[in-house]
Amino acid sequence: MPPESSAVGEARAHAAGTRRPRAAHVIGQNIGLILAASILLLSVVVFVGMFVLEQHRLPGNFEITSTVNNTMPLALAAIGQTVVVLTRGIDLSVGGVVDLTNALAAIYLPGSEAHMALVAALVVLVGAAAGLVNGLVVGLGRLQPIVVTLATLSIFQGLAIRVLPQPGGTVPGVVTDILVNTGGPFALLFLVLAALGWMALRRSRIGVQIFAVGNDEQAAIAHGINAVRTKIIAYTIGGALYALAGLFFAANATSGDATGGNVYTLTSIVATVLGGVSLFGGRGSAIGAMCGAFITTMIVNILFYAHIDPLYQSFYEGLFLVIAVVLGAAIGRLVRRGAS
Amino acid sequence: MLARLTPDMMRIIAAYAAAVALFVIGAFVHPGFASFPSVTSILLVASFVGLVAAGQCFVILIGGIDLSVPWVLNAAAILLATSSLGQDSRALYAIALTLGMGALVGAANGVLIVWFGVPAVVMTLAMNGIVEGLALGLSGGMTCAACASYAPPVVAAAVHGVFLGVPAALWLWLIVVLVVSFVLSFTRFGRATYAIGNNPRAAFLAGVNVNLTTVFLYVLSGVFSALAGILLVGFGGQASLGMGDPYLFQSIAAVVIGGVSILGGRGSYLGAAAGAVSLTALVSVLLALNMPEYGRSIIYGVVILALLLLYGREQRE
Repeated sequence: MPPESSAVGEARAHAAGTRRPRAAHVIGQNIGLILAASILLLSVVVFVGMFVLEQHRLPGNFEITSTVNNTMPLALAAIGQTVVVLTRGIDLSVGGVVDLTNALAAIYLPGSEAHMALVAALVVLVGAAAGLVNGLVVGLGRLQPIVVTLATLSIFQGLAIRVLPQPGGTVPGVVTDILVNTGGPFALLFLVLAALGWMALRRSRIGVQIFAVGNDEQAAIAHGINAVRTKIIAYTIGGALYALAGLFFAANATSGDATGGNVYTLTSIVATVLGGVSLFGGRGSAIGAMCGAFITTMIVNILFYAHIDPLYQSFYEGLFLVIAVVLGAAIGRLVRRGAS
Repeated sequence: MLARLTPDMMRIIAAYAAAVALFVIGAFVHPGFASFPSVTSILLVASFVGLVAAGQCFVILIGGIDLSVPWVLNAAAILLATSSLGQDSRALYAIALTLGMGALVGAANGVLIVWFGVPAVVMTLAMNGIVEGLALGLSGGMTCAACASYAPPVVAAAVHGVFLGVPAALWLWLIVVLVVSFVLSFTRFGRATYAIGNNPRAAFLAGVNVNLTTVFLYVLSGVFSALAGILLVGFGGQASLGMGDPYLFQSIAAVVIGGVSILGGRGSYLGAAAGAVSLTALVSVLLALNMPEYGRSIIYGVVILALLLLYGREQRE
C-alpha cells in the first residue's frame, strides 16, 4: 500500500526541514487500515476460541466457506461505498442498486451459458448506470450527495419492485457455483482480484484524482483536476460494485428479493467506517473496507456462539461500532503524534 | 417585490407553493381531496413527520444529522404503552419517562459526537442499532405482557380530539412550529445554532458555548422523536415494531425540501414544516391516483430530486 496522501505528508516533512523515519511514516499514514486488520484478526481469534470451546474442534471448511460467501455482497458494496466516500461523498442508494440488480439477475439470468454471461455483464452495466445517475446529479447539479442518493434510493427501490414484485426468480446453479461455491472459500479469489483492482485504481490517474478531490476539492481544481468528472467516475465505479454485490447476493440466495438488499445502505457505511475510511474524504483504503465487512460478519458469529439473544444483536453491533470508532480515533491520534 | 426577497425566503415560499400545488392537483384528480376533512387528515399525518423534522432540523442546522430517529421513535412508542399500561392515571408518568428516554439518547449522541469526536453519521447510526437492540431485547420482540397495552385514553384523545374544528395534534404542531421558529429566530440559543452551523470556530470565538449547544440540539432531536412516538401510539392505539422506519428518510427529505442546507447554517423550521406537508400531500395524491407501490417510490424520488435541482443547489464558488 502506498502511504495515503503521501505528497502532503512529505511536503510537510520537507517544510519542517526533517524527514520522518520511513516505517513510522507508513504506519502513521495507514493507521486506519492497520487498525481494521488488527480488529479483524482479534475478532477471528475470539471467534475461533469460542467455536473451539463450544464444538471441541476448529472451524472447518463449512464454517469458513459460509462466512466468506455471506460476507461477499457486503465486502463488494463496502468497496463501492469507499470509492464514493473517498471523494468526500456518501452513497445512500446502495440498498436500492443492490435490490434492483439482484431482482434483474433473478429474473433474466436463466438460459444458456453465453446468455448468463451476457446478462451478468448487463446487470453490472445497469449498476454502473445507476451510479452514473448519482454522479451526474451530484457533480453537475452541485447538490449534496446525502440528499441526492436519498432520492435515488427511493427511485431504484421502486424500479426493483417493478422488476420483481414478489420474491422469486431463480439463479442457475452454474452461477452460484462460480460466484459462491459451497465446496470451499473460493470466493476469496474474487476479493483478491478486487484488492488488485483497488491497488491499480489507487495508482492510476483517476485514483489519485479521487483522493485529491476528497482531500481538498478547491485545491484539486486549482491543480487542473476536473472535480465533476472525477465524482461522476467515482459514483459510477461504486454503482458497478453494488451491482456485483447484488449478483453475489442473488447467487447466495439462489433467488431474488427486491427488498432484501436494503440493509446494505447502512451496513456498507458501517463496514467502510470500521475499515478506517474517513467519512471526511481523501483517507482510506478499499482493503480496509473489506476487513470492515468481515469484522461485521465475525461479530454476528461471535454473538451467536456467545448465546446472546438475537434480539439484542443490533445493540451489541451498535455498541461495538461506537467503541471501535472512539478507540480507533484515539489510537490514530497517539500514533500520528508519536510518529511526527 | 420579488427581487427584495432573500434566497432563503424564496425557498420557504417555494416549499409552501409546492404544498398548495399538490393540494390543487389532488383536487383535480380526486374530487374531495381538498375538502376540509381530507386536508386536516393529511395535515395530521404530516404533523408526525413535521415533529420529527423539528428535531432533525435542529441538528441539520449545525451540519449534523440524526439517523437514530427510527428506533428512538419506536422505542418511545413501546415505552409509552408498556409504562402506562393504557391507564390514564399513569399517563403523565409514562409521558415524562418516554420524553426523558428521548432526551437521554439524544444526550448520549451529543456527548459522543462533541467530546469523543465520533462523526454524527456514525454515532447516530450506531445509536439507532443500540436503541433497536434494547427495545427488541427488553420487550422480548414485542411479546411482553405489557406490550399489547393500548395508549392511555388521554393520549389518544390528545391526538384524535377536536378543538375548534381541528384535530388537537395539529394545534400541538402549530404551537411547536411557532415556538421553534421563535426560538431559532429571536433567542440567543437560536442565533448560536446558526452561528455554529456557519462556522463553529467563529462561533466559539464569538463566545458561543459550541459543545453544550451541540449536545442540547441532539437532546432536542431525541425529545422530538420521542414526542412523535407518543403521538403515533395515541393515533394508532398500539405500538408495533418498525413503526419508526419511514420517519428517518421522510424527516430528512422534509427538512431539505424546506430549504434547510444539509451543510448547516441556513434555513428555517417554517420551511421544513412546509416540506413535511408537501411530502405527505404528494404521497396522498399518488395514493388517490391508485398508483402502485413501485410508482409511488419512483415518483417520490423524482419529485425530491426535481425540487432539489430547482432550489437546493449550492452557489458556484
